[in-house]
Amino acid sequence: MSDNPYEVLGVKPAATADEIQKAYRQLAKKLHPDLNPGNVQAEEKFKKVGAAYGLLSDPEKRGKFDRGEIDALGAERQQRPFYRDYAGGREQPYTTGEGFADFAGEDDIFAELFRRSAQRRANMLGGDIHYRLPVEFLEAVNGATKRIGLPDGSSLDLKVPAGAREGQILRLKGKGMPGTGSGPPGDALAEIGIRPHRFFTRDGDDIRVELPITLREAVLGGPVSVPTPSGPVTMTVPKGANSGTVLRLKGKGVPRADGGRGDQYVSLKLVLPHGTDAELETFARSWSAGQAHNPRQGMEV
Amino acid sequence: MFIHELHVRTQIETEILSAWVEASWLVPLQKEFSEADVARAQLIRDLKDDLGVNDDGVEVILNLLDQIHGLRQSLGDLMDAVRGQPKEVQHRIAAALRGTKTLEEG
Repeated sequence: MSDNPYEVLGVKPAATADEIQKAYRQLAKKLHPDLNPGNVQAEEKFKKVGAAYGLLSDPEKRGKFDRGEIDALGAERQQRPFYRDYAGGREQPYTTGEGFADFAGEDDIFAELFRRSAQRRANMLGGDIHYRLPVEFLEAVNGATKRIGLPDGSSLDLKVPAGAREGQILRLKGKGMPGTGSGPPGDALAEIGIRPHRFFTRDGDDIRVELPITLREAVLGGPVSVPTPSGPVTMTVPKGANSGTVLRLKGKGVPRADGGRGDQYVSLKLVLPHGTDAELETFARSWSAGQAHNPRQGMEV
Repeated sequence: MFIHELHVRTQIETEILSAWVEASWLVPLQKEFSEADVARAQLIRDLKDDLGVNDDGVEVILNLLDQIHGLRQSLGDLMDAVRGQPKEVQHRIAAALRGTKTLEEG
């Protein structure tokens, strides 16, 4: 950009006062540093445009410049603060996060980041308090109501939704730190920690369980009773089942938000009776096919 | 500083400044203005006098600017938090932003 004020504003030397103002406004709208908070070059250009306009909008100075009595460098460059240099401060009352509060959901761990700046200094929102809420495995799967005591001595009922996940955050509106002035209190955030179960494990929306079966059940197949988080159900073991065979119980897993449920996967485990059994030993010795069978064939031994 | 000093610093009439406070364009804390308010008052003057924006336009611009600064602040905090992560995590985030998938075995 040249220093000639006419060139800076992009007008002809014969331009009228109206044309000069129009040209300046056009440029200032694009270059005002406060309308370009992240653009570092905007300020330098804006100052140059402002100096050119300062010279050409004053008929006396413009006349002197046109007659060559002063040059463009003689035009005063304003030194002034811009609002953008202050807007980032924490104590600043205007900055708001309202425009993008939808970036993070209520349960999102980043929600605080986007809500924090939506504060006015006179009536400030109270801070959030973080808690950890231990729940039993089946309480998380089926849902439960937990009575918890707050540090201020009060207690309240917390609803753990069915299908709650490890690390999920329950937001208790208004149970956080008090606000200032007429500012509302913050929230209490309870992070769910799920205790392990004796025989169920969880894999997303699915439940996994290892089910011991007898030799008789494995060989002949038949109905067996299987525990699920919502109570025992009857399942048919196929004839010739084996340790490691996995059977699926559709819809017997963890409830999902959409109303559906995951599945339960039952992994069979063949268990022989404790101690020795003479009849079984006799059978095993006389069972000819059992002598040829080598389940370790794939292991090259 | 009180409204008189704000007038001296900005060369904006006290009545006009009062009207801006009334409109909540400026929010003093217990009648005291800050350095940010000096710059903000000059911005409002620029908008009205130099850029030809009317009062409704100023209202809209201030509202959007306040949201932009809120966004810049949160984005700045987020960037600080990302820079504080191990290099590997930073790479994963950068990859996710570019829409590329991290290669996995199997």
